[in-house]
Amino acid sequence: MTFFLLLLPPVLAALLAFLVRPYRSFVGWINALLSLVSLGAALTFAMQAIAGGEAPTWGLALDSLGLVDVLRADSLSALLMVCVTAVASLTLFLSPGLGRPVKTPHWGDLAYGEAQLRRYHIFVNLFIAAMLLAVSANNVGVMWIAVEATTVFSAFIIPLKLNKASIEASWKYILIGSVGIALAFAGTVLGYFDFVTLSGRAENALNWTVLLGIAPALHPEVMRLAFVLLLVGYGTKAGIAPMHTWKPDAYGESPAPLTALMSSALFAVAMYAILRWKVVADATLGSGSYTNNLLIALGLLSLVVAAFSVVLATNYKRMLAFSSIEHTGLMCLGFALGPLGTFAALLHLVNHTAAKSLMFFLVDNIEHKYRSPLIADTRGLLKALPWTGALFAAGLMILIGLPPGGIFVSEFALFRAGFALNHPWLMGAALALLAVVFVSFINHLNKMLYGAPSEDVNRDVPPEHLTWRIALLLISVAVLVTLGLTLPAPLAALLNQSVEIISKP
Amino acid sequence: MNDSLFSQLSTLGSSVVLLFGITLLWRRSLRAYTGAFQWQSAVLAAMFVIIGYFGHDPELYFVAVFFGILKVFILPRYLERMEKRFGGQRESQPYVNVATSLILAGLLVLLAYAITRPLVLVSALPTRGGLPLAMGLIFVGLFVVITRKKALTQIVGFLVMENGIALLAVLGTFGIPLIVELGVFLDVLMGFLVMQVFVYHIHGTFESIDVDQLNELKH
Repeated sequence: MTFFLLLLPPVLAALLAFLVRPYRSFVGWINALLSLVSLGAALTFAMQAIAGGEAPTWGLALDSLGLVDVLRADSLSALLMVCVTAVASLTLFLSPGLGRPVKTPHWGDLAYGEAQLRRYHIFVNLFIAAMLLAVSANNVGVMWIAVEATTVFSAFIIPLKLNKASIEASWKYILIGSVGIALAFAGTVLGYFDFVTLSGRAENALNWTVLLGIAPALHPEVMRLAFVLLLVGYGTKAGIAPMHTWKPDAYGESPAPLTALMSSALFAVAMYAILRWKVVADATLGSGSYTNNLLIALGLLSLVVAAFSVVLATNYKRMLAFSSIEHTGLMCLGFALGPLGTFAALLHLVNHTAAKSLMFFLVDNIEHKYRSPLIADTRGLLKALPWTGALFAAGLMILIGLPPGGIFVSEFALFRAGFALNHPWLMGAALALLAVVFVSFINHLNKMLYGAPSEDVNRDVPPEHLTWRIALLLISVAVLVTLGLTLPAPLAALLNQSVEIISKP
Repeated sequence: MNDSLFSQLSTLGSSVVLLFGITLLWRRSLRAYTGAFQWQSAVLAAMFVIIGYFGHDPELYFVAVFFGILKVFILPRYLERMEKRFGGQRESQPYVNVATSLILAGLLVLLAYAITRPLVLVSALPTRGGLPLAMGLIFVGLFVVITRKKALTQIVGFLVMENGIALLAVLGTFGIPLIVELGVFLDVLMGFLVMQVFVYHIHGTFESIDVDQLNELKH
């Protein structure tokens, strides 16, 4: 039943947004409240996972349909569910059309019309539903369908404002995303092919649990090929270099709340899909060395690409996108560094989800005030938007790994795992690249925070006070700082159990 | 007897499907692209039926019908509609010219033979001979997406690539589980519709469907 409470609310929310025409602000509020139901369900799953015992499953006992145990919530799934639903709730509360006036003529091209708000609320909820299905699916075929659906749904709302840049960004996004995800499907087919070759056709053969059970008997040569296709495919969605090219464009042009979802939740979901397959591939290949080497190579490449792009960034949204590529690279390295590294990378995933979504919500405020995505136009942030400016500075400091932010702890743990496994050169290179990012971020931040705001800032945006919107973001920062100071016992338990799932001997 | 006929038929069918994919590389007009895709899908649907018959899997007849409706009728109709709208525009100057494209396609198929060797070796299915051809088609589709300049031809390239994956699935496993297959069809349809909407948007804003005009976003 909990599965229904998890998956149905976003579908109902989308349906409501579809039926109410034109858009009314109560739709946004009901959607936001419905997302709390999903969050509750995810927390329930997390508590069940921590308590131990069999992972809850759901399915239809119609053998011929292949729906036996189609959904499953083990610790790893529960962790991702909590991440996705938490960001989803935050997004829906901070979405356009909830309190902010729907039409303010002076806002010019940044105000959304009723049709756009309606479209936004339909597809953002479907997008959330698809992500939740992806992390709760046991059947890797269903997981693929859900990940592919995220591409389709999000592509509808990237160009909420039609202009050359947003159309270009969404075309790249949908084409690169679809091609990549098609390759992941070819990989999934090869995994199933191997199963069929070995033990004949079975409708539930695409279930991850079944696949993992038979994995040691599968053919390593086939699995190697399958894993490469899967890594490239889901890696495209995660934005691992060299398949990252859509990322800065899409993040730069999407409405900021959607970007918050894409950069934190969608990224985590794609990473999760890679992890599920890594477990199967490692079981088939007998050791993790093959998958780890691939992850290390792509992870390092991502760090290199990110470091040099951040230096050159002139647009703060694209700058944050490059920071996403950097953290993607770090997590790839972490997942390749044994159980310790996996623990660090998972913790990093949680931290990054909180930090990156926070940043993009703040970007939303900055965009409204400055009406420009360029760093050069955004002088005097602290004067123009005191709360947003301070939070932006704090978030960026956390993002580049300064204590007492959570990212400091997870990066520290990650590097310790690397040095413990005797990868001094690799870790040294990663540290050097991180230093480059660190310096250029501080540099960009300095340009934005100080000075006097230019004359073009939007005078219609009222002076900023401590509203409930800001308070929600303060909670984000508080969570991040808490994670930097201590590791709460339930989270530690969930992470440890997930590590056990991922690095099964 | 039956098995050797089955094996010959499936290899023949896969070759025809691949050939239609390669057609894209030397035809220029959008109409030819649509036609090649339509014929390819029709042959592929027939392959589902053949494999369903010889492999004693009636489920595949369903899949063939769905596949046929979607890829032989619905998608080509949309493609034709776009083609009427933008029909004057030919794929005049792809990033790679025809002769080079054909040579590269040949190399891609050779590569496909090389990397699918383990699959052919471990499989005992009579259809295994077609596996390299399916992988080759995936590569050719990918190549079309990368090297063509028109948004519309990129879409056809993507659809051809998906046909390659469908071929791989049916040859290697006699079809993936039905529920997943249906989900995939739904995704293909939705993905196609979104891309279609964007072609109109691109045309509306850039007054052309050349994707090399999409070069605003840097740094």
